[in-house]
Amino acid sequence: MEGRGSGRATVKPMKTGTKIALAAAVIAAVTARYWFYLAAEVSLPTDRTGFVIVFLGAAALGVYALIKRTSWLGAIPAVFAIVVGAFLPFTVSVSTQIVERESVIEVGDAMPQFTSIDGQGQAFDSASLNGHLVLIKFFRAHW
Amino acid sequence: MRRLEELRAEFDERGVKVLTVSVDLPEVIADRRHLHGLQATMLSDQQLTVTDKFGLRNQGFHSAPGSEEAEALPVPATLLIDKTGKVVWMDLSPDYQRRSDPSVVLAAMEAHFDIAGD
Repeated sequence: MEGRGSGRATVKPMKTGTKIALAAAVIAAVTARYWFYLAAEVSLPTDRTGFVIVFLGAAALGVYALIKRTSWLGAIPAVFAIVVGAFLPFTVSVSTQIVERESVIEVGDAMPQFTSIDGQGQAFDSASLNGHLVLIKFFRAHW
Repeated sequence: MRRLEELRAEFDERGVKVLTVSVDLPEVIADRRHLHGLQATMLSDQQLTVTDKFGLRNQGFHSAPGSEEAEALPVPATLLIDKTGKVVWMDLSPDYQRRSDPSVVLAAMEAHFDIAGD
């Protein structure tokens, strides 16, 4: 018992800077993981301000941790947070994947009115569908 | 499209107007029409204006960041609209290769378009 107690006492308490570095790394990693999850689901939000703020915040926290002085190993999560937090906002801003799910038509909605041209090059007005049962099929291309 | 044509008698029986929307050029539509023989109004929606009205632009298909036009396509979807202009059934898939099977469309028509429900 005594030996275990003294062994524990020899472990240096974690430096404040190291704790901050670990927190920054966790924030950066979790946010990045969530971002890539949304990207895979094709449901990235149109407004990414929150993501940018969190990523930059994680990077700033990593810098702050280094200023507060971390242990030698503690610098690793700090650098990780800075790299991820500083790089991902770039990805977030250039990614063109935008899905406006709210605007997608749903059962119970009124069909939007529209005009277009048909395969003969003739003008088409959706008003001609009024009072009829209609099947509309959207597809990629003929094949 | 040929598969949809299998339901021709079912559409005629119910007086269903069939409309297709794709990004194909009118020339392509005209060219292919005789191949599948589908008696439908086939719209050429190159600018995705109709697609956007329905909110069905598939925004996930960009080949690379910044390529806005290259892969702009509608999400494959089939909708049934009743006589009051209301959407009564819809089948959409984020997988552009998947299509509504004719049997699924027929079941939906039987559920929503049949005289009993009128």
